Amino acid sequence: MKTSLAFCVFALLPGSVLAADQPAFRVDFNRDIRPILSDNCFACHGPDASRRKAKLRLDVRESALRKGVIVPGKPDESELVARIFSEEPGEQMPPPKANKRLTPEQKELLKRWIAEGAVYQKHWAYQTPGRPPTPAVRDTAWPANWVDRFLLARLEREELTPSPEADRVTLLRRVTFDLTGLPPTPAEVEAFLQDHSPTAWERVVDRLLGTEAYGERMAAYWLDLVRFADTVGYHGDQDQNISPYRDWVIDAFNDNMPFDRFTREQLAGDLLPGADIDQKIATGYNRLLQTSHEGGVQPKEYLAIYAADRVRNLSAVWLGGTLGCAQCHDHKYDPYTQKDFYSMAAFFADIDEAQHFRKGTNTLPTARPPEIKVLTRRERALLASLEGALHRLDAQQKNLSAESLAAQELRQRKQDVEKQRDEIRKNARLTMITVSITPRTIRVLPRGNWLDDSGPIVQPAVPEFLGSLQVGRRRATRLDLANWLVDPKDGIGLLTARVMVNRLWYLCFGQGLARVLDDFGGQGEPPSHPELLDRLAHEFVESGWDIKHMMRLLVTSRAYRQRSAADSALRQRDPENRLLARQAAFRLPAEMIRDNALAISGLLVHRLGGPSVKPYQPEGYYRHLNFPKRTYQHDTDERQWRRGVYVHWQRQYLHPMLKAFDAPSREECTAQRPRSNTPLAALVLLNDPSFLEAARVFAERILREGGDTTETRLHYAFRRALSRLPDAQEQKLLTELVAGYRQEYAANPGAARQLIATGQAPVAADLNAAEWAAWTGVARTILNLSETNTRE
Amino acid sequence: MFPLDSLRMKRRTFLSEAGIGLGAAALSVLLGRDLAATAPAEKRRLMRGLPGLPHFPPRVKRVIFLYMAGGPSHLETFDYKPELERLDGKPMPESFTRGQPIAQLQGQRLKILRPLTKFARHGKNGQWISDFLPYHAKIADDICILRSMVTEQINHDPAHTFMNTGTAISGRPSMGSWILYGLGAECDDLPGFVVLTSVGGRDPQPIASRQWSAGFLPSRFQGVEFNSTGDPVHYIHPPRGVSSAQQERLVQAVAQLDRHHNRLLANPEIESRVAAYETAFRMQTAVPELMDMSSEPQHVLDLYGARPGDGSFASNCLLARRLAERGVRFIQLYHRGWDHHGDLARYMRICCGLTDRPTYALLTDLKQRGLLDDTLVIWGGEFGRTPMFQGKGGPGRDHHIKGFSMWLAGGPIKGGLTYGATDDLGYNAVENVVHVHDLHATLLYLLGIDHERFTFKYQGLDMRLTGVEKARVVKEILA
Repeated sequence: MKTSLAFCVFALLPGSVLAADQPAFRVDFNRDIRPILSDNCFACHGPDASRRKAKLRLDVRESALRKGVIVPGKPDESELVARIFSEEPGEQMPPPKANKRLTPEQKELLKRWIAEGAVYQKHWAYQTPGRPPTPAVRDTAWPANWVDRFLLARLEREELTPSPEADRVTLLRRVTFDLTGLPPTPAEVEAFLQDHSPTAWERVVDRLLGTEAYGERMAAYWLDLVRFADTVGYHGDQDQNISPYRDWVIDAFNDNMPFDRFTREQLAGDLLPGADIDQKIATGYNRLLQTSHEGGVQPKEYLAIYAADRVRNLSAVWLGGTLGCAQCHDHKYDPYTQKDFYSMAAFFADIDEAQHFRKGTNTLPTARPPEIKVLTRRERALLASLEGALHRLDAQQKNLSAESLAAQELRQRKQDVEKQRDEIRKNARLTMITVSITPRTIRVLPRGNWLDDSGPIVQPAVPEFLGSLQVGRRRATRLDLANWLVDPKDGIGLLTARVMVNRLWYLCFGQGLARVLDDFGGQGEPPSHPELLDRLAHEFVESGWDIKHMMRLLVTSRAYRQRSAADSALRQRDPENRLLARQAAFRLPAEMIRDNALAISGLLVHRLGGPSVKPYQPEGYYRHLNFPKRTYQHDTDERQWRRGVYVHWQRQYLHPMLKAFDAPSREECTAQRPRSNTPLAALVLLNDPSFLEAARVFAERILREGGDTTETRLHYAFRRALSRLPDAQEQKLLTELVAGYRQEYAANPGAARQLIATGQAPVAADLNAAEWAAWTGVARTILNLSETNTRE
Repeated sequence: MFPLDSLRMKRRTFLSEAGIGLGAAALSVLLGRDLAATAPAEKRRLMRGLPGLPHFPPRVKRVIFLYMAGGPSHLETFDYKPELERLDGKPMPESFTRGQPIAQLQGQRLKILRPLTKFARHGKNGQWISDFLPYHAKIADDICILRSMVTEQINHDPAHTFMNTGTAISGRPSMGSWILYGLGAECDDLPGFVVLTSVGGRDPQPIASRQWSAGFLPSRFQGVEFNSTGDPVHYIHPPRGVSSAQQERLVQAVAQLDRHHNRLLANPEIESRVAAYETAFRMQTAVPELMDMSSEPQHVLDLYGARPGDGSFASNCLLARRLAERGVRFIQLYHRGWDHHGDLARYMRICCGLTDRPTYALLTDLKQRGLLDDTLVIWGGEFGRTPMFQGKGGPGRDHHIKGFSMWLAGGPIKGGLTYGATDDLGYNAVENVVHVHDLHATLLYLLGIDHERFTFKYQGLDMRLTGVEKARVVKEILA
């Protein structure tokens, strides 16, 4: 067993421990060699023809074998080996000025790989996933489903055991955050603790997948990927009309729209036969890029910028690739060519870009035609039923004499319904959509230079090494591209599926099986469990691209339910948790931090969809914006307490709270947010009025519903915020805290009244201000705890 | 000493789970920072630099960048072109402009505009400085004027992004973040990268917080903007009705409860969280103390022409000195209002009136305190302006990127030197061209960093501030 153990450590921490001296070890190109070559050699000896040195490619076996650079089976005759071991500055590879140094272990590995025949493999991410069988495991009692068997088989090989199941409260909190972005209510906790049936867990999962909050949570992630924002991003950063697209995304997740259709409608909903209103709204995807409305922008330059923006996003979201690198030159590490880049850009050449150079304005919102005015699906349904009602009332009216009492009543009812109908109609919002026009000419721009018209004209085409579209002589469209992305037979459906399931895994486990979520290329990282990832990709496709099915599969696994805490032995053995012998604990994403505080306080308003909302924000934060100048008006009604996913997303000045907790500006695709821990974030939780208001409303609740003693009140507060009771020490500490505050506020009622007046929520007159302020201190403490803001 | 220090527990060695996805370099930063937190409080630094940095002995410790946003005209500040006088009103030779990017003058007839003010030679070496900058004339021997700057972006927003991050693509770290990431800061109660802004001149161009973003670097390296009105830092003040002592007890309670809960979890992130809360608390005292200029004697206020709290460039210059004294690594002052498409002379008078004297005062003050020896001061905007006339109102100039001026001072910079030149019409930089990437390389060099070896892995690439093309350290301007 020693071999596999050392081997595993090596695979996890490249360069740290070498196991190549173990007899059973066999070098694997994708796992062991490609990362070394890619990081150290491909920049000059890789796919990019323009920068290639000595006409040598090390990413292609035939090229590497020429001239004896590599002589399979004979490391001593191989030039490569001589060069990497050389100490001669003129000979040494990589050359000293490249700032790349091979470790002794890496050199030995390369030597050994050549000795074993220098076998190349296609890069894992470009190989269509196989459908590996479920592996056998010794402990057949542990796995709850086949996902577990893949993980357990590996753990058993490594002689590790999975962590025990987390306690039920932690489990419920974990899955509720993961599937809805919200904490469980005390009643939900109670119900789960009481449910001893063997299917209790599955029932919780199904309940959560059925909530509307599920769609909001999933949408928040998708909106990061597609860089959804309320403003244009460049220069004046004016508002733009796009919020109905967000509603569409939320609905799509809640309806469990299959991912292939989800893809098709966003990229090419307008090209679908008989495209309906929702499919048009979906095409807002193509309009989410950053645009500039600065006077003096050169259309030609910006057309190039926009084309590149689209290709970067498409490639990051669906291909999990960095095709954007090929804007100026062939990709240095992956087989994307510069021609591929512009051929992909050509798919979007039918989008009417030029309109906004003529019509974009320095107004709020700016005009970005084509736009249409739409109602949400719910509003449309309501409207339809109201119109139906009006029809029925009309029909009834005919049978009544105009003067009768019944007719008068009927008229009154009709008026009411009409009023309702008109109210709904007023809600209609503009939203940007895609309208296809005659495609403009797309050329390869030499070195990305938009002033240079000498490059060849290209037609829409997918990256050459990934295949081609079977469209005959017809020009390929965005719809062809979308179909190709999700076609497991004639397209790259299984590759796309693999990119997506890896991200679903990330949402449930805190990191992907392949950790770099937006780069499956040569410079990314191979997956820790390649067979499992492949099998999940198949499952996704076979399930009919069923996202809820996949989420259910992952969260009902035994692995998902493990404890996240690790003892020091496991931490040392697998510090980055690549083997998944435990779950992960991590700080909640920005929106959940907000939603959690609002939910605990009871302020949270559950309402689906609608225009963006504006929470309190420091005054003057937008003072550097111009064209036009603007002042931020926070909402003064219940919109103040809506979920984070609806918060106005100002690309240049993202709300400081969201920013402090690592929400991205959404200028580019973000597949994975960092999880930082900064003083600025601490200041938000301590002093942002949204959190203060939540704390003082939470305190009011504690006083009203938590009984009359400090003890019962602390119990109540902990149940609401942490789903558990405080222990003796916590109780002691907070009892002292509240006693001190109580005394101080009794002596200074003016301060007490100031604190409890924070925010717009009504201030009840019947509570003792000093007591309320003192408990606001406790509530603030609880809202600031790590545990409150961590998914464990 | 802050009482929380006494609560500090023995730290565990760990590999942080927070580092996931940030790469090995970031992980080592986390580790570095952890080690830092175990050091005695006096010597502790919030942000340690990377191991192995600086690469060689630094020549300066900190940077103050006086960023003249909008694009000040080089032709009315430091680049005297008598030829423009002679050709005033004549058509601009097409040989200069054919195929060149152009901003608002697209499709218009291009004619030459004379310098709109007088120039004279100043200082021992007789550097050319215009009449718009009488106070600059007095520091001519301290500043090294670069007259051969070039950039690649002709519209404000991308040009700012290019100047700050070395590329026009969004999502890359600004130079201040790079430097903080590499070297850390020498203060633990203030951010290591501070941005101050002031306005005055023509209708100011917007400026995005992207300009001080940490991009793909961990977010604690982002620049923090100090506001001249309202709270100096967002959420810096304890809530109304909460005293500082009450706030302190709350922060302590959070720390104690966090550690108590963590005894079962052994989550290593808790200690950095507690440290972040400590710093946040210290900032609540340190930031108002920094902003409170009542301790500055009248003659210093007079030197700058500053009225504390007015948000002027003068006050910001004084704040910059105070920040420099407190160990802040990168201090960036934006003055917005230099976009002079029309009425250039009038707006130059306003912009120079607001910035000329405070700039002189800052250099003088730094010098008197010995701080100029290890502080690099940079003056300049995102681009220059065309030799061609533009008439939005009175005569003005359009954006120009093929040649413009900046200046450097402090540390080993050769004061009194004029470096590089544009052609006779002030259009193309033709002698000793300094690209924005060269400026970045020089800046890093002065801080002891080899720009080619200073990388961060992002999307599989070794990203650098200076990009992939060759950049050079402009050693000719260093003593």
